[in-house]
Amino acid sequence: MLDKTRTLPALLMILPSVALAFWIIGYPIYDVAHTSLHAVNRFGKVQDFAGLANFARLFEDPIFIGSLWRTILWTVTVVGGTILLSIPIAVMLNEDFHGRGVARVIVMLPWAISLAMTAIVWRWSLNGQYGMINATLFQLGILERPTEWLANFDTAFPIEIGIGILVSIPFTSTVLLGGLSSIPNDVYEAATIDGATGWQRFRFITLPLMKPFLQIAIVLNVINVFNSFPIIWVLTQGEPANSTDILVTYLYKLAFRYGKLDVAAAMSLIMFAILLVFTAAYIILAARSEEKGA
Amino acid sequence: MTPKLKRSILYWLILGPFAVVALFPFAVMLSTALKPADEIFVFPPTWLPTRLAFENFVEMWSATGFGVALFNSLWISTAGTVLSLLVAIPAAYAMARLRWHGQGFYRQFLLVTQMLSPIVLVIGIFRLMAAMGLVDSQWALVLGYAAFNLAFATWMMSSYFKTIPKEIEEAAWIDGATRLQSLVRVFLPMALPALAVTGIFTFINCWNEFVLALTILRSNEKYPLTLQIFTLVGGAYKINWHHVMAATFAATVPVAVVFALMQRALVRGLSLGGVK
Repeated sequence: MLDKTRTLPALLMILPSVALAFWIIGYPIYDVAHTSLHAVNRFGKVQDFAGLANFARLFEDPIFIGSLWRTILWTVTVVGGTILLSIPIAVMLNEDFHGRGVARVIVMLPWAISLAMTAIVWRWSLNGQYGMINATLFQLGILERPTEWLANFDTAFPIEIGIGILVSIPFTSTVLLGGLSSIPNDVYEAATIDGATGWQRFRFITLPLMKPFLQIAIVLNVINVFNSFPIIWVLTQGEPANSTDILVTYLYKLAFRYGKLDVAAAMSLIMFAILLVFTAAYIILAARSEEKGA
Repeated sequence: MTPKLKRSILYWLILGPFAVVALFPFAVMLSTALKPADEIFVFPPTWLPTRLAFENFVEMWSATGFGVALFNSLWISTAGTVLSLLVAIPAAYAMARLRWHGQGFYRQFLLVTQMLSPIVLVIGIFRLMAAMGLVDSQWALVLGYAAFNLAFATWMMSSYFKTIPKEIEEAAWIDGATRLQSLVRVFLPMALPALAVTGIFTFINCWNEFVLALTILRSNEKYPLTLQIFTLVGGAYKINWHHVMAATFAATVPVAVVFALMQRALVRGLSLGGVK
């Protein structure tokens, strides 16, 4: 009875969601695309058709190019670091040891603070004069003079990447832990009887069975990290001299600080295209693994 | 030494550094929030205050406008979550239970909305809200949050809905219940765990959202907590860090407790919703 094709009732059921999404997501996509092809004056009024001039201006802008490269660096290192750390964390949390409950709660804790607030606390911790990072490093004798961590790119950006990893681990290890707990124990027992070592069990049982969970974790993390705004905005606002800007922070500045809505719209569209390519790659990947029956 | 004890020591040695970094912000919040005002800017800084200045928490309440911001956060997040669930429940039901033309297309449509975050469309959203007179309106946030959490909520719930046996609903129809009756009386009560987990995730997403609130809201008395606290450190020439840290601590602890209590359910919920 349930498996008959029921297009009309289904369409009615999805209608509210489609309407909401078309209004608040669909219309802005159209508006951004439209704006990107026109000149916009200082008061936000859309004027003459400008063709691809806004896009051309972007690609001549060294800050945009720099932000683009930094976005790639940011996304790859944060997602890479997160996955590399989350796998062992999830594997450990899935096994029985003293204090596992406490460990699980600690691993999830960074999730409970909003990103903006996490960033505020770290900004205070990294304060060059009175921050607790400096205080601790003084006490341990590692540091002799106060350091302004956020005042230059070489320390600020790696710190931002580190915080990005820290806040991504809870969600990622939770997804992986969910995956691990769905692997039945007897698979491991059988492998152990057959003489598989710990590493072999991990390599030939855990990793392949975890593949769909790893995939979803990587995709969702790439999307989240690529779009991540609060950490960099709160810590450095892309400064000093735009050296820690990534696309999202530079976009925000272009639009709401410099008032260049037209160029910013072009930038939005480029980011939309990047995300679309990535999502398409994911769909193809997912379809292929479904064909294989994985 | 038993193998379990050995393993416990090894694991805690490996997890130790991560635990220290994860707990560090909490230690900083607490340490600063409990320092008397004149010990904040002392060089070299120390971890322990000379006395515990609990009055910071009392002063913080009015100095940071905590009460109003807390109330704003609560109502905006609740309304956003309820709206998101109301819209996502029928969609998830259609995805899980019905076969229809355009189902695959709808799935990809959800994927695209999932991949976009407010920041990518911030200009278009701002112009939309400006055209509709919704700048500085908290309703703009409610609608935006509902829309941007839609895909996730639909996914989570439809994958859970699929695990509820169809026979139970069919039995209700045979007993004379209409589709709507069976949905409300039989199906939804069984889906309650999924609604709860999805609701909690959505609520926390709304609670923590930053970009839309930063862009749309103008008047301080409408700010949710995150934005209110950010404003305190935003451009001020002198930041009262003891108040700010007391506020972040007070804003964080309830959410942290929810996470600690719900941890098991969240793992199960995410693994169901994420992949299957």
